[in-house]
Amino acid sequence: LRWAGCTAALTTLAQLHPLTAFGQTPVSGDAPAARFFDANQTEMLTQIMERIVDSGLPDAPRVRDTQAVASVDSLCRGLDPSISAPLPLLLGAFEYAPCVLDFTFTRFSRMSDVQKDASLEAWRTSRLPLRRLAFLGVRNLCFFGWYAQPETWPLIGYRGPLIDGGVS
Amino acid sequence: VIHTPIGGNGAERADVCVIGSGGGGAVAAAELASAGRSVVVLEQGPFWTSADFTQREDQMLPRLFEEAGMRQTVDGGVSILQGRSVGGSTVHNLCYAFRTPEPILRMWRDEHGLASLTPESLEPSFRRVEAGLRVKPIREDEVNTLNRRIRSGAEKLGYSGFVTHHNREGCVKSGYCILGCSYDAKQSMLVTYVPRAHAAGARIFPQVRADRIEAEGGRVRRVLASSLDRDGQVRGSIEVTAPVVVLAAGAVNSPDLLLRSGIANSSGQVGRNLHLHPSVMVAGFWDEPIHAYRGIPQSYYVDEFIDLEREPHTGYVLMPIAGFPVLTAVNTPGFGRAHFQQMRDFSKMGGLLVLLHDRSAGSVENGSSSGRPRIEYALDPADRRQLGRGVRHCAQLLFAAGARRVVVPYLPEPVVLGPGDDLTSLRDEIDVGQAPIASTHPQSTCRMGGDPARAVVNDHGECFDVAGLFVADMSVFPTSLGAPPQITTAALADRTAHHILQRWSELSA
Repeated sequence: LRWAGCTAALTTLAQLHPLTAFGQTPVSGDAPAARFFDANQTEMLTQIMERIVDSGLPDAPRVRDTQAVASVDSLCRGLDPSISAPLPLLLGAFEYAPCVLDFTFTRFSRMSDVQKDASLEAWRTSRLPLRRLAFLGVRNLCFFGWYAQPETWPLIGYRGPLIDGGVS
Repeated sequence: VIHTPIGGNGAERADVCVIGSGGGGAVAAAELASAGRSVVVLEQGPFWTSADFTQREDQMLPRLFEEAGMRQTVDGGVSILQGRSVGGSTVHNLCYAFRTPEPILRMWRDEHGLASLTPESLEPSFRRVEAGLRVKPIREDEVNTLNRRIRSGAEKLGYSGFVTHHNREGCVKSGYCILGCSYDAKQSMLVTYVPRAHAAGARIFPQVRADRIEAEGGRVRRVLASSLDRDGQVRGSIEVTAPVVVLAAGAVNSPDLLLRSGIANSSGQVGRNLHLHPSVMVAGFWDEPIHAYRGIPQSYYVDEFIDLEREPHTGYVLMPIAGFPVLTAVNTPGFGRAHFQQMRDFSKMGGLLVLLHDRSAGSVENGSSSGRPRIEYALDPADRRQLGRGVRHCAQLLFAAGARRVVVPYLPEPVVLGPGDDLTSLRDEIDVGQAPIASTHPQSTCRMGGDPARAVVNDHGECFDVAGLFVADMSVFPTSLGAPPQITTAALADRTAHHILQRWSELSA
């Protein structure tokens, strides 16, 4: 999560495509309030997380129905600003990288699930170390938010904290 | 028992100012306060107690770790887990309790001019800290399922290994050691030396970050610090005037502070020689749930591949490890359904770490902001080969222990192996960036030595350049330790504290 190292590239991307142009459906009124990320950024993070944590299980909870994104938001609020400040720009980069870097001419948020997975795979396997690093950072944030949610623990057989009555 | 953080500006006077309350600082503070010295302890992290330890990763990782557990080398290649609360890394460590290996002490004497570091001279310090931390052997009934299986596999292969000592008292075997012990069974500094220091009169200030150490005329004079709120925002300043300062902020933050202060670096060695004990986790999967995260996480220790008598500079050890969901997910390569294929079997998973006694040396420099030093580290070719061999031995041992599937976390593509697969196909070397590498043992960045041109501190931890300024954490290790560092850190800090007491009239003049 060496966000600072990505700042220059991300700033350039953001200048080309201001984050205010995300233009996707804001988080629904029932979703947890996010304070570090604005509504568009929260939606972007939600869409990325949906693909990062995809299990293929029909009965898995939906990211939107959990506090997973709110957990990431809460984490980011507590981070040193030198770590957290580039994150909104990074989300912008994920939105527009398919257009700018991968020549797909479609924003991430407007892609199908298959296309989104391909876009994330391009980040994961990029020849650019900074791009791989940025992917790893976002991926890890998604896992942080997702696997901290008690609803996800039955999926993996984790029995949960003992002080909350978990099984020893 | 802890002082309320200062909201405004303040000034303190003390005999000794200790910076950091972890494995070195708490020991120094308690020993000095118990001898009647007035002690102020500055700890940049908050004060948490067992009541705050919720066993939830989303809450405990940000509470207990530097940079919320996201501290990394500048290229992102090595994750560095360090504590950031009263008690420091001892709040989250896994309680291996080893004395400094004698061959390492001999090498430090022979190659680093530290003639006084003999087992005999350290014996009183070892005894005190082992008593203070209630070190004892792990009982047979305390060895959990994963560790029993690893031991069984090691015995089948004829590997050398043993059940270790630890510092727990009344352990309930919850397994949540790395998230802070909710039961106060772990004998961390938080429940041992910190209360002892406080009872002896030490004034302990959490959420106060030392920003600068000032010296005049070759002597240390004062520490300038900022009080912080829980989000790390500066809320006030404090100046501590003291004739003795003990710097114990860890092997990343200690050199960062010395460099920011512009002192104690005539050797040019401050921040150099960073060793990390880099480690890679290989995951094994059994047919049935083993819930490896329950019970004492690490009790068995495989030392087959380290022979410090013959070669004190190199080798590696293998240690069982189990994580909770977030830490496991982060350490599992990939994303989406391929990633979930591994996570789905979380309850059947147990890990084995290869932990390298590294010769590779990195560096710590001042970073973009206070508290975020710039850390660089690269593996030299010999260490890359050691890590490659270690991963192969992890896979071999996991299969011998009954694992039905082993995942080697190469990047970008992990390798999934089954019993009988050819392990010689695994990589001969692993470099930074080719697998998730983690470190919980940064060390050697203010190294101890006999030659002021090659070392930062002398054999008692005092800076060559600044009288009265001592370093008492893992940054003083002259080389990689090659063993879990908790007892060595505490014993050297104890030794430094008693040296300060012996020279008190001179130091306080």
